[in-house]
Parts: sequence; C-alpha cells; structure tokens
Amino acid sequence: MTDERFEQLMRDAEKTYRVPPEPDFEGMWSAITSQTAGLTPRNVPALPDRQEPRGFLRSSRIRIAAALIVGVGLGRASMMLGHRNVPASAPAPVAVAAAPAARADTNMARPYEVETSQYLGETAALLVSLPAEVKSGRADQEFTGRAADLLTRTRLLMDSPAANDPAMRSLFEDLELVLAQVVRLQQNSKRIELDLINRALEQRDVIPRLRTAAADISAN
Amino acid sequence: MIARVLSGDRIAARELYDAHAPRVFRLAFRLTGDADLAREFTQDTFVRAFSQLARFRGDSALSTWLHRITVTVVANAMRKVKRFRERETDLEDVHPIGSDGAGVDPVLRERLHRAIDALPEIYRTTLIMHDIEGYTHTEIAEVLGVAEGTCKSRLSQARAQLRATLADLAPEFEP
Repeated sequence: MTDERFEQLMRDAEKTYRVPPEPDFEGMWSAITSQTAGLTPRNVPALPDRQEPRGFLRSSRIRIAAALIVGVGLGRASMMLGHRNVPASAPAPVAVAAAPAARADTNMARPYEVETSQYLGETAALLVSLPAEVKSGRADQEFTGRAADLLTRTRLLMDSPAANDPAMRSLFEDLELVLAQVVRLQQNSKRIELDLINRALEQRDVIPRLRTAAADISAN
Repeated sequence: MIARVLSGDRIAARELYDAHAPRVFRLAFRLTGDADLAREFTQDTFVRAFSQLARFRGDSALSTWLHRITVTVVANAMRKVKRFRERETDLEDVHPIGSDGAGVDPVLRERLHRAIDALPEIYRTTLIMHDIEGYTHTEIAEVLGVAEGTCKSRLSQARAQLRATLADLAPEFEP
C-alpha cells in the first residue's frame, strides 16, 4: 500500500511537477542562428585527409616555426655572404654595401609576404571572433591554443625581414600584446579580460590596421 | 543529417533543431523550473552542439549527446544561480497543476515538489530524468556518464529521501 501510494504521488508529479510551458521555438532558433553566425557549420574544419608529417613536425605550430627559423637563418647567412663578396678595394663602398642588403631583402620578400599574409588573415579572424567566442563560452583551450600559435608566429616575424617596415613592426608589437592577453584568458574572469582586450584593440586601432596591412600585401 | 549540417546545409540544421529542441527544452525546464532559463539553456545547448558537431563520433545516439550537453549546461549554470533552489515559491504560479493531477492532496503534492527541489543535484537530476521525463536507466547512465548501477542507486536514494521528507505528512509512507 505504501509503495502504491508513493507511486501514485510520483505519477502525479510527472504531470504536475514543473510542467513545461509552450516555448517560443522560432525565437530560440533566431537566437541560435545569430550566435552561430560567425561559426557556421561550413566553417567547421574538416578532418585532415592527407598524410600528416611524423615526429616533432606533426604540429603545425612547430612546422611554421621551423620554416620561419630556417628562413631567418638563410636570410642572415645570405646577407653575410653578400658582405664577404664585396671587394675590399671597391671604389664606392657605401653603394656596394647597400646593394647586397637590398638584394637580400628582395630575395626574402616573397616567402615572408606569403607567411605574413596568412598570419595577418588568421589573426584578424581570431580577433574578430573573440567577443562571440568568449560570450558563448567557446573560448576554450583550442581557441587559446590558436592564439598561442599566432603569438609564436608574431615573435618569429618580428625577428624576420617582414618587420623591416616600421609600420609593420609596430603592428606586430601591438598584436604581440593583444595575443598575449588572449592566451592568458582565464575561465573565471573572461568578461573582464575581454573588456581589457577590446580596449587595447580600440585604442591601438589594431583591427583596421590589420586589415589594411593584409590588403596591402595581397595587392602587392 | 549530421553530414548535411556539417557541409553547411541550413535546412538540415533546422531539421535537427526541430527534431530535438522540444525534448531539450522540456529537460531544461524540468531541471530549472524557470522558462527564461530553460530557453537560454536550450539555446546554449544548440549553439554548443552546432559548434562541436564535427567532434560527435556517433558513439551514442545524437539525442543522448544533446541531452548530455543540456545537463552539463544546466548544471554549470545552476551552480551559479543557487537562489533558484532555495526560493520561496507560490504554489500555483511555479508548478502549474495539470488536469490529470486531480485526486492528490494539494498540500502533499506541494510538499513532494519542494522535496524534489531540495534533493542533492545528482539525485534530483536522476529522479527527474527517470520518474518525471521517462528516460531509461541506460539513457540516463549515458547522459550522465555513469554506470547503470550508479544510476539505479541514485534513484533509490532520491526516492528514499522523498519518502523520509513526506513521512510526517503521510504516516503511511513510514517504513
């Protein structure tokens, strides 16, 4: 009897406990689509269908870093060789000394332009999506991992011929600061940190400069 | 359908939403007792689901995966909104009585509802999913990521606590 009575009560609760109202499904759908606007399923990365390199080069971060380090090394080596090839008795030392450096810059320009262009595009995408990522709670380890990747590339580019242009160097320095803040985003205080990052982005006019630089490189 | 959603098919995304949103909302509402929160958590569930759909490997049913997200979203958020568990409620405003509920003493019913609200979270979630929403132990175990035995044990504990709470009002429940 006791069990029956209790079961009766529970059956009653099934019908009376927190009876869900009729929800506004259309309104919810609108909210969902607006929140996922920057992250449509089309943008979800597909599974890799190509053979990944083995060993330590498996990480794209390490591959990019390795490529940049090799590039910087080759650039510096070629510049040194250029200086050594200058005859000691050259009649116009200033002009001759300048020539190899210019040639080295020209030779290095294309690979760095490609890398810088890709880097600027990825950084712009990350920073533009940052507020939505934090607001929706998606700014997870993967997101900060991408920021860490970009921070590494920023620092490598700052040490490369890509930073010879003062405007580009200044942009790299600002991006280094902002990306370092993104990497340090903490789960419990993301709102406050996001405000700080947004302030830094606005004060330094980072996003428009980023887009201009990317457009300039693409135009070249 | 999942492949279509991943390829960017918005109609497929809407079909997925239409198929699962009612039950996700029901679960969210039963767990929170608040329509605005249930709406917010339903939205959060689908935003997360669409952004993480590529990671869904099909180890469980899509509905199980969605309900797991729902329970996680609700649990995380409700820890920050403890006031909802301790609030003083108006009997008829918050727990609308369905027409099929006739025949049970309203005072006893309200005591039961409050006793359910007061259960520890792991017991309450299990009891709501099993006794109120009709999930099987297998489904609950998958959603909560626990063994079926654990699920049964939690349900048993939850029911025992309810009986103990109601004992003074309904002497026939005493062991």
